[in-house]
Amino acid sequence: MKPVEVIGIDVSYGAKKVLEVVSLDAEKGEILGIIGPNGAGKTTLIKAMSRVVTPEGGEIHLNARNLESLSFREMAQQVAVVPQGFSISFDYSVRDIVMMGRHPYIGRLSSASPRDLEVCDNAMRLANVTHLAASSVNEISGGERQRVLIARALAQEPKILLLDEATSNLDISHRIEILDIIRGLTDSVTVISVFHDLNLAAYYCDRLIMLKDQRVFAVGEPADVLTREAIRAVYGIDVLVKTHPLTGKPYILPVYGNAPGHQQQGGMHVICGGGTGSDLLYALHREGFRVSAGVLNLMDTDYATATALGIPCISEAPFAAISAGARDSLRQHIDSAHAVIVTAMPIGPGNIENIRILEDYRYKSVIFLCGGGSRAFQDHTGGEAGAIIRRLFDRGAVRVERVEEVLRILRAAG
Amino acid sequence: MRRAAPITILALAGTLIASMACAVILGPASTSLGSLFALPNAWKIFWEIRLPRVIVAVLVGCALAVAGTAMQGLFRNSMADPYIIGTSSGGALGATLSIVFFAGMGRPVFAFLGAAIATFTVYTIARQGGKVPVETLLLSGVALSMLLSAFLSFLMYTAGRSLHQIMFWLMGGFWNVSWDDVIIGILIPAGCLAIYFYARDINIISLGEEDAIHLGVNVERLKQLLLFVSAFLAGIAVSIAGAIGFIGLITPHVMRLIVGPDHRILLPAAALAGGILLLWSDTLARTFAGDMPVGIITACFGAPFFIYLLRSRMKA
Repeated sequence: MKPVEVIGIDVSYGAKKVLEVVSLDAEKGEILGIIGPNGAGKTTLIKAMSRVVTPEGGEIHLNARNLESLSFREMAQQVAVVPQGFSISFDYSVRDIVMMGRHPYIGRLSSASPRDLEVCDNAMRLANVTHLAASSVNEISGGERQRVLIARALAQEPKILLLDEATSNLDISHRIEILDIIRGLTDSVTVISVFHDLNLAAYYCDRLIMLKDQRVFAVGEPADVLTREAIRAVYGIDVLVKTHPLTGKPYILPVYGNAPGHQQQGGMHVICGGGTGSDLLYALHREGFRVSAGVLNLMDTDYATATALGIPCISEAPFAAISAGARDSLRQHIDSAHAVIVTAMPIGPGNIENIRILEDYRYKSVIFLCGGGSRAFQDHTGGEAGAIIRRLFDRGAVRVERVEEVLRILRAAG
Repeated sequence: MRRAAPITILALAGTLIASMACAVILGPASTSLGSLFALPNAWKIFWEIRLPRVIVAVLVGCALAVAGTAMQGLFRNSMADPYIIGTSSGGALGATLSIVFFAGMGRPVFAFLGAAIATFTVYTIARQGGKVPVETLLLSGVALSMLLSAFLSFLMYTAGRSLHQIMFWLMGGFWNVSWDDVIIGILIPAGCLAIYFYARDINIISLGEEDAIHLGVNVERLKQLLLFVSAFLAGIAVSIAGAIGFIGLITPHVMRLIVGPDHRILLPAAALAGGILLLWSDTLARTFAGDMPVGIITACFGAPFFIYLLRSRMKA
């Protein structure tokens, strides 16, 4: 028996479909996150589960009972909702509001029992609003008000807690404070929450359900749902998916700017290392150039950037010199590239092969991106690297200072 | 301040009783308590004119205040009032119809029907996606009142004979009150009690309809019930005393400042205060103002109060 089972529900507002055959289920005690872009139907899903809207098709079961068969009172004893916020015209005190959470338990003609008061006190303590009990809800801050709503929900002693972007209007510290409270609830409470912030969702949720265009796009553990491809498909933006170094959960970094739509421009090969090529790789990728990179050491920052951007990259084991195989591969990439761009990396015996190979190409366009620093192309080869670079310049290699200049030259050439 | 709630209720109840005692003595034909029992004429004034009038004024004040309180809670809007949102106009039109066509027969029923239809119409017009915004509520109320006034004017124009009676419904007053009206007025405490049973539900619906659903309130049923009973109270009040404005606006507002927004205390406090306010307005009208329609007096202090509320809303 699952606490929540949503079976193929359809919801429309007038002629507009808001949810189409959406199904989900939640296990006892888990935190299930609902994610998706604006208008995907997240809030409506919460509204359907809390009976604010009635689906036209499909069924919703709470602890194996059909939602429709429950009275509003019975429903409120099982399900509590924390909305995004509230504005009220009347000056209720915090305690008044939290006590309203006991409404489904108190008979019409009776007043609050000692147990009701005890539950209410407990809820206020859990949500850390006890000290505000006598204050008016219109005098406290947004974060405090949100905690009051959580206290009210807890006073309902729910088995299922629904959160509709309950932390969206708060700053990051209050978000974490409130989500920590939610996660600290006992294992008997099932939490279903709408999230806008994918990183918070990844950290706090056991499972995620991703909505796109009124339908379920993906369901599963955060690492399985929050993939680069899924986020591109659902949100239409390009992101890097990393692992949070402390939590081990997926961590999403937006690649600012638009996702590359078309790759009409010619290929470029970037020789870089030590993080000197990351911004160039990103700029070329964003501009829609076909880019390859290497040879790079597997632990190099530029290697991480290239793989994160999905740029094909020739790699070599850490601390190893460039092998014959890698050199062949590099040769193939350079052969098919329009131009080769070398960034101001330190050059040592390990990677000198990367530039030595360029001497074989008499007519290939080569651009050195020096970045203006005096430490550019630090030579750890006893002068050999410097000599190669000088010879390449003599043969017509271009020297530029900034990434924008590279782009300008490539655009003009392309 | 909240702790003082029971004391406030007691004080209001005491004031009400004292006010009623004063009001039966005060009047154009001043009667001392001694003369009351000595002169048969004075007794007649006391028993047949003043006492029913005082009782009815208090009951009508209660009805309007409780209807106003319930509407303000339901609409989450401290500017709702049976007069402003058109309930009273509907009631007045209903009562007028019964006077013109049925010689006043079934007046309370007509008044109630008119009030109920007007209330539900305004509510339906003003509702936008499950919410009733202040501006649309007030505007729909004004618009409907204008329409109903046009109907009323038409009736007045065609029914010259009962013109004076119809004027009475427009202004509101207690000229012709008798014990019959007190008997109809008995329905008022019943209506107030019905609303009081839902005091906690009104607290919750005043947070918003969605929140109310989350907290286990059957919102649609509650709304229908509150609108129905409010229209019932306003309809009875109108059928007895015509369209008296602003009692339902002012009393809940002032009482909310004193006892807080909890309807379990606010409703009885507003009921008592509404009774006191209308009783004194009427006493003032008949003692010092040549028995002019009490609606003129309530409008004289009510309308400026309404403007003050509008201004402070705009500042906020």
